[in-house]
Amino acid sequence: MSRPIRYVLGLALFAGALAGCGTTSDRALTTALAALNTPPTQTPMATAAKLETCPHLTASLRPPASMPAPGTMPPGSYMAAIKHRGYLRAGVNAGLLDFGYLNPATGQIEGFEIDLVRELARAIFGDTSPKHYRLVALTVPQRIPFVQQGRVDIVVDAVTITCDRKQQVDFSTVYYGAQQEVLVPSNSNATGIAAFAHKPVCASAGSTPITVMDSLPLPDRPRAVGRTQAIDCLVALQEGQIDAISTDSSILLGFKAQDPNTRIIGTSLAPVPYGMAISKAHPDFVRFVNGVLAELRANGTWRRLYNRWLGRLAPNPILPPAQYDG
Amino acid sequence: MWISNPELNLEGLGIAASPAPTRRRSARAGVALGWIRDRLTTTPGRLILTSALVVVGAACFGVLATGAEQSREHAVQAARTNTEPLLIHAVNLYTDLSHANATVATGLLSLGPEPLNERARYLRDLRGASQSLTALTREAGTSASAPAALSTVADQLPIYSGLVETARANNRQGFPIGAAYLRQAAVLMTGTILPAAGQLYATEAERLDSDYRTGRSTASLVALIAAIVVAVGLLVLAQLYVSRVSRRILNISMVLGTVALIAVSAWAVIGLISEQNALTTAQRDGSDKVELLSAANVLLSRAQGDLSLALVNRGTDVTDPQDFATVIHVLTTSGLASRLGTGFRSYLQMAHRIQGLENGGQLGQAITVGPQAGSISEQLSARLVAGIAAAQNRFTRSAADAASALSGLWLAIPLITAVAAALALLGLRQRINEYR
Repeated sequence: MSRPIRYVLGLALFAGALAGCGTTSDRALTTALAALNTPPTQTPMATAAKLETCPHLTASLRPPASMPAPGTMPPGSYMAAIKHRGYLRAGVNAGLLDFGYLNPATGQIEGFEIDLVRELARAIFGDTSPKHYRLVALTVPQRIPFVQQGRVDIVVDAVTITCDRKQQVDFSTVYYGAQQEVLVPSNSNATGIAAFAHKPVCASAGSTPITVMDSLPLPDRPRAVGRTQAIDCLVALQEGQIDAISTDSSILLGFKAQDPNTRIIGTSLAPVPYGMAISKAHPDFVRFVNGVLAELRANGTWRRLYNRWLGRLAPNPILPPAQYDG
Repeated sequence: MWISNPELNLEGLGIAASPAPTRRRSARAGVALGWIRDRLTTTPGRLILTSALVVVGAACFGVLATGAEQSREHAVQAARTNTEPLLIHAVNLYTDLSHANATVATGLLSLGPEPLNERARYLRDLRGASQSLTALTREAGTSASAPAALSTVADQLPIYSGLVETARANNRQGFPIGAAYLRQAAVLMTGTILPAAGQLYATEAERLDSDYRTGRSTASLVALIAAIVVAVGLLVLAQLYVSRVSRRILNISMVLGTVALIAVSAWAVIGLISEQNALTTAQRDGSDKVELLSAANVLLSRAQGDLSLALVNRGTDVTDPQDFATVIHVLTTSGLASRLGTGFRSYLQMAHRIQGLENGGQLGQAITVGPQAGSISEQLSARLVAGIAAAQNRFTRSAADAASALSGLWLAIPLITAVAAALALLGLRQRINEYR
């Protein structure tokens, strides 16, 4: 019996070898599935903003006694360095209608803030030729680091002056006095934020408006809902997922322009002063920018530019007077 | 499983030839054992027992060989007509959805009115996805595909297309909210719909894989060969015994039976081996290529969608450039990028140029150049689609070869085995009759 058994074993081995010659590894499927299972990148949620008070929040450096003539910057100044480079680098918003947004019809970033950048370029170079300024569209978390790292000369991107940010960069005087307001569907009866006790009210996640809502002096506060960006709140409002949006009036004006079925209600929840952010390494540039802003206020250019973009939405802008402390 | 069958076991045969004195478990077993013991005492009795053994051996061979052949044939037919076509539907669903998501972002990217060819491509992708979804749903009864994944795709796809149309309408008015709707659509696609489509794809791919494993199972071949060894061995032993009893060297009909059994065995072994070789070719040159090429296609679409979406979002979101970098990294490290050929390098160059313009403050210019990356990705994708079609043809051809390698065996094995057994019995009967 041992010989046939050996024979069978031999044949079985032979069969195994035959079977083995026709196999493939499952590498293809494993590779394909592993590659396809790469999870989508998640948008990191911003950490909650802090509400702090500090003295002279909106005060900035005093302009020089006499402004240099456009095109002739004082040697050694940061403005001279910009002039030498040939263009001003400004960090701006490309998605904020009428403030700073990319016009799909022209392919250009346009708006009130962009016109202010053009005025800065005019003050440095003597004209507003597009070759004299470059607009870098920034995300909210990029705004301060880009100034600090010197990747842009200035950020004109709806940056609210806060105590925290003032530690990291210098701000110009206030160039737009926004307020935190509330936007509702036009058929809403609400007259103020108090109407939204425990109801979902949207703002961009981790932003100051969320913190403001969470610390309102009301017995029944609204339930603050954070979305990645403020514009996502308008989507949520149109889809009926939230009852109201509370954020900067500048942003709400743009929302109202995009959706006529909305209105802005109530009084201001908090002032939202916008300043241009400049590196702490260039105080001469801060003074220069404040000088340009003072001229724009004085000669009516600020008002003209405001009316051009935002006048039809909110005819009576509040521009707080410039404050200086050094 | 098959080999452990005690009736096949040689030791089992030994027991049958000279049963050990075991305790009688029941009256019936006792009667059977008694009958066998009675037969063992005389030569014709032993010849009758041999006949019985030959019948049992032939029957076992027939059952085992047919079983081995049938298990493989069913797997091959399932792969050919069911699991592979379903995998193709799942692949098409996945690629069409990914492609739609990239196309719509690239289309909305352009300044001014959306290019009509992008629109047509998007609609074609959606139609293709719907057709694949219908086919997968129709087969849901026979398919192990998670019905939850199917209904996720079916439920969310109309919502997705609604978001896309809202994005288009707003974009045409120049409103930034268009980009927000598109972003929401993209999040729905990449976060919910595509994972469900991926689940369907994985399920179908694993079912096909299981058919491949059955269709190439070593166990079937080993069982077949073991059955052949035992059956042929049994016939040879029977002939040795008969020739010793009758003092004749050859028993013609028993020899003929053995030859018939060897012939059908050879046919079956050759059939099974060529079947598994053809199936291997079908997988290696066919469905494996389909899987790799379509994975490359899906990832390419995802990268292109990220690139376009970053521009549509006008630098308001850091997620898309990050996801783009991740996808390119995966494409490169997994080796899938090599499937894209040299065009992948020019795609990457164009993408980096666009991202450089975007980061360097020339968003408008980046948007003007943007569609060029889209058209390179279209060319690469078209090449992949052609490659997938060619691989699918190779699969169809080789799977048909695998099926035809087994054709006729389902009938030949039982028939020829029966003939062989009958011939052997005839030969034994002649010897038994000599004692009457």
